[in-house]
Amino acid sequence: MIFEGNRRFSRRSVLKASLAMGGALAAPRLAFADDTLAEIKKKGEMVVATEMQFPPFDISDNGVYKGVDRELIDAVAKEMGVKVSYLDLPWTSVLPGLEAKKFDLCIAPVTITKERMKRYAFSVPIADATAALMKRADDKSINKPEDIGGKTIGGQKGTAQLAQIKAYADGKGLKIDVKEYVDNNQSYADLAAGRIDASVNSLPNLAYAAAQRPDTFAVVLPPFGQPTYFSWVGRLDDKTLLDAVNAALVKLEGDGTMAKIQKTWFGQTTDLPKTVPEPTI
Amino acid sequence: MRPQVIFHSFGYLTEAAGVTIAISFAGIALGFLIGAAVCIGRLSGRRWLETLGGVYISVFRGVPLLVQLLFIYYFLATLGLDVPALVAAIGGLGFASGAYQAEILRGALNAIPSGQSEAAVALGYSPLDRWRLILLPQALRLAIPPLINEFILLLKASSLVSVVGIAELTRVSMNIAAMTYRPLEAYVGGGLFYLAINLALAGAGALAERHFGSAR
Repeated sequence: MIFEGNRRFSRRSVLKASLAMGGALAAPRLAFADDTLAEIKKKGEMVVATEMQFPPFDISDNGVYKGVDRELIDAVAKEMGVKVSYLDLPWTSVLPGLEAKKFDLCIAPVTITKERMKRYAFSVPIADATAALMKRADDKSINKPEDIGGKTIGGQKGTAQLAQIKAYADGKGLKIDVKEYVDNNQSYADLAAGRIDASVNSLPNLAYAAAQRPDTFAVVLPPFGQPTYFSWVGRLDDKTLLDAVNAALVKLEGDGTMAKIQKTWFGQTTDLPKTVPEPTI
Repeated sequence: MRPQVIFHSFGYLTEAAGVTIAISFAGIALGFLIGAAVCIGRLSGRRWLETLGGVYISVFRGVPLLVQLLFIYYFLATLGLDVPALVAAIGGLGFASGAYQAEILRGALNAIPSGQSEAAVALGYSPLDRWRLILLPQALRLAIPPLINEFILLLKASSLVSVVGIAELTRVSMNIAAMTYRPLEAYVGGGLFYLAINLALAGAGALAERHFGSAR
């Protein structure tokens, strides 16, 4: 990560540098906040970020932000009594932006893994993230996950789902070629174009893609991966904010709001854990 | 290929093209001011100004624009200076373009034979009149083709400002591709908008050349 070095700066040198540069640019806002939750309540506004290219979670439909995350965060903010503003950032900028305090919470669905738990604070799960495969609708050679021996599989670089397909193939003794993409949409495009034989992603994402283009794509069932979940991500030291978000999420599950949102976007409902689960991967 | 995707998203693409044009023109204008200042510094005959201008050009021409944008938006924030996305985008484009425009202007001024300046002095022109009537009109004429080149390059490079969260044309094309699962149509749509804008820019350049007379 490019910005790993920032811990080196002492508070004083930070202050000095910001004062020096503050003179150069008009009216800078100093990005200090002792407690993010208190700051949000004071402003009456929570700033969240995601990449709006991850249907059905995050979609920019002719400039209007839509999807599972939008409906959930709106409901959560209502519980917290604040407004929300949304930032659309490329995925590679989202986590650096969170660390640089450009916004308060990342509402891109992030798979809970052991490695990530060390660096970020996770909310309670917002959706199922179990990894599955999608093939071309007319491909008769893949009917179950075990059929991928000798095939080329595409997925988004650095995702938990891509790591799982490699582990799955190793475990079953299957030889596969893996192609890594900057984002899932390129993997889907190459699947449609016939350059790869299957795309790996979470089941909700694939089910939505296949439903949008049933003539082109079909999901390979059952999902092959370990049960995993998507959560939102905050900074490790923002425990109070995460607690407030979690309380709201658990309440939404209790009062049926979560089930309603799931029905809209996934066509079915799933029970989610009420606490941050121990990661299995 | 399903052209309906482009028609359906036409308003969204038009809006994004507006953002691309606004940010690029602000960047070009800022770049021209910086470029003129740096060029004057480089030709001032004062050693420290020449060095300063040279260092500016080396840095902003030598570091990729993407890295400059990430630095302004994210790295300055870790030092406590929260630069708004729009300021970071226009600033990044303007700082980088300023380095290129400075060299374009310097090249154009250097292309005017020194005999002209000497003759003007000999004929008793004041320094102001020498620049206003003799040097600048010719330099500007010489600079038009490379400047239009630079403007078109900058307009296309403005796709990079999406890393600071600005929904410009390329970013919006990607959004459409993600939403519709039809990347080909989305990018053809975005590409056509870029082409239209750049053809208009090139046309404006041709008009400007005709207006100022050809440089021969």
